[in-house]
Amino acid sequence: MRSTLKNPYVYLLFVLPTIALYFLFFIYPMLTSFYYGFTNWNGLDTKDYVGFANFANAFKDADFRHSILNNLIILLFSCCIQVPLIIVCSLLISGVKRLQGFYKTTVFMPSILSTSVIGILWGFIYDPDVGLLDKTLRSLGAPTIYWLADTNWALPAILITNAWQWMGFYIVLILAAILAIPREIDEAARIDGATGPQRAWYLTVPLIKPIINVVIMLSIAGALRVVDIVLVMTGGGPAGATDVMASYMVNKAIKYSDYGYGTALSIIIFAFALVLTALYQILFARRQERVEF
Amino acid sequence: MKKKVASAMAVSAALSVFLAACGSNGDNGNGANASPSSSQPAASDASPSPSPSASAPASESASPEKAENFTVSLRHIQIGDAQKFRKAILDDVVKKTESEVPGLKFELDGVEDSVNRFTKLPAEMAAGNPPKIMDIFGGAGDTQKYAKAGRLLDLTPILDELGLKDKFLNVLEPFSVDGKVYGLPIGGNTEGIFYNTDIFAKYNLNPPTTWDDLIKAADTLKKNNVAPFAAGSKDAWVPNMLVNTLIGRIAGENTNSGFITGQSKWNSPDVVAAYQMIADWEKKGYYPKGELGKAYADMLTDFVAGKAGMMFDGSWRSSAFKDDAVGKDISGKVAFVSLPPIPNGKGNQTSVNANYGEGYGFSSDLNENELKAVKAFIKNMYSDEMQLRGLLEDGVLPSMKLSDESIAQVTDPVVKQVLDVLKNAGTTFPHFDSVVQSKVYTETETQLTKLIAGKATPQEVGNAIQKAQDAENAAAAK
Repeated sequence: MRSTLKNPYVYLLFVLPTIALYFLFFIYPMLTSFYYGFTNWNGLDTKDYVGFANFANAFKDADFRHSILNNLIILLFSCCIQVPLIIVCSLLISGVKRLQGFYKTTVFMPSILSTSVIGILWGFIYDPDVGLLDKTLRSLGAPTIYWLADTNWALPAILITNAWQWMGFYIVLILAAILAIPREIDEAARIDGATGPQRAWYLTVPLIKPIINVVIMLSIAGALRVVDIVLVMTGGGPAGATDVMASYMVNKAIKYSDYGYGTALSIIIFAFALVLTALYQILFARRQERVEF
Repeated sequence: MKKKVASAMAVSAALSVFLAACGSNGDNGNGANASPSSSQPAASDASPSPSPSASAPASESASPEKAENFTVSLRHIQIGDAQKFRKAILDDVVKKTESEVPGLKFELDGVEDSVNRFTKLPAEMAAGNPPKIMDIFGGAGDTQKYAKAGRLLDLTPILDELGLKDKFLNVLEPFSVDGKVYGLPIGGNTEGIFYNTDIFAKYNLNPPTTWDDLIKAADTLKKNNVAPFAAGSKDAWVPNMLVNTLIGRIAGENTNSGFITGQSKWNSPDVVAAYQMIADWEKKGYYPKGELGKAYADMLTDFVAGKAGMMFDGSWRSSAFKDDAVGKDISGKVAFVSLPPIPNGKGNQTSVNANYGEGYGFSSDLNENELKAVKAFIKNMYSDEMQLRGLLEDGVLPSMKLSDESIAQVTDPVVKQVLDVLKNAGTTFPHFDSVVQSKVYTETETQLTKLIAGKATPQEVGNAIQKAQDAENAAAAK
């Protein structure tokens, strides 16, 4: 037995099933998708090789460009508006003395709900006739807004819902980092006469920068792959106003039965996400030094 | 060394089990003599004796109690209150078929119509695992496409065997490829205007049977803050119904069937004129605000609630206005007319749209037992009795030849009006959704929503759809 375990090939055999499964369910589909991206496969019949035609069409496709733009809007919204809000909320909650657990649980709650539930829930809130939001707005004298039916309002409506769903999760992440900072640092600053905002800005925020970086990274990744909330709430409508890259891809592949083109789009999305996260890593994240307490 | 070999063998055995479990059931199609339990996980769960030797021939001769249990998946779209009459018919057929075929249990899977048609079924067809029995539409985008890819069962021999071949009206064409039948329409319908007679009486309006009356009614309703037409434009196939009829009337009744042959063009002036009319009506405010957020069900809700005076819908909706149905609030206050003659329309202005587009198709991947179940299902579903029940209970026009006495049993006033509309029609034309390829059809939906949202002009809409049509026609010619 002992001699068996000394043989490296035996270990290889033990790993083989996992590798085989990994190959079967990850590597193989990846490679075939890559191939399908260069064909005009409709999901059913024979497929012909069409070279880079799908990719060329994708960049000529005004609707796809519009969906890229929507992804970028979501990305900017989450990085420039959501992340600062998350930090502010975390700082506020970390300063709460009583019922901190209650606040933590409350803000975290939406992120454990399924996206479909949230989409339908907010669909009711946004309902122009009976929805909470419009009723409130109307009582204040504002005109009815057809949130999900208006091409100008649909994307903001989805942004708000998406933020509501995910902010709690990030708040808990950042809160954990804030609470992990040793009390002594804060107390020392307090003795030196630093005010609350000063301590938050000059002490806490720099100390939690690594976790903020993680949150930004996750936000970028999240903004690029957001699709479920869009499909549940608007299906990319009205008239493509809320289409993101992934929902557009799903639509093209399945509704249009254009799997070749759809796969090409998914490769573009993959490349796009890779480049953006790499850029962020190179430009910002790498410069950070590890914080040692 | 021996131990090494032994451990290696053990590991590879484990591995092969894994791989076998992951393997596809590719030989299921011709594996008629294989036990259904070997490839059908669901079937083996239910089977009391999963031994492969007790396969079909043995159970055939045995008494029914000993028959091997098996399940057959059945996808239907009869969900929600508005479809309850159709669901009741399906349930009865299911029950009857289960009692006739020993061991059979249907697994009913209800999915919303457009989700099934445009998302779920296409994905299942691509993956090669459609339900054994499925709700399906006729035409190049649905049945014919799947049949050409070998996914659907050729029903021609079954129709011969059951003697159903000549029972159908001349409606099997959209379900056929090269003379072979791959799907069976369950019934027919025509799309036209439902209007609320109470509201029309309140504002002293004539029934919308002439163009002037229709426009006058719409303008009057608009003035009185009643939406002239209820809408469900979030589901783009809903406004597409009106587009289809407008094209038939303005550009001519042969236009819709000419798109795939190249005889008619989406960007021709006449077809664009049909889209222009939609754009004009949008501009005049004939539809409720926020219509792009309203789904098909909302259209009925608004109409029943009296928020709209008219709605353009399929005649199948007539069953919603029965006394015990979802629209019972306005039961007896609803009438149905075809779209009135359009001034300067090139088509026959008495022509109406008639669809025999929806029915059932069957997977080509069936074993012997499942085939028996499918045959029994067809026999029970496509019978004079069920066709008549469909007409009387659900207001769905029969797709099979029914005697005049049977049809005379119709008492529902709206269904009678529907029958009158079809009787008085000079000619009929199909909906383009059962004619054009799926890419083209989806493009019509995309472009129509853009038109409604004011993001595209009628000419741009026509050009975009024609571009998709040209590409598909070129691909088909190859």
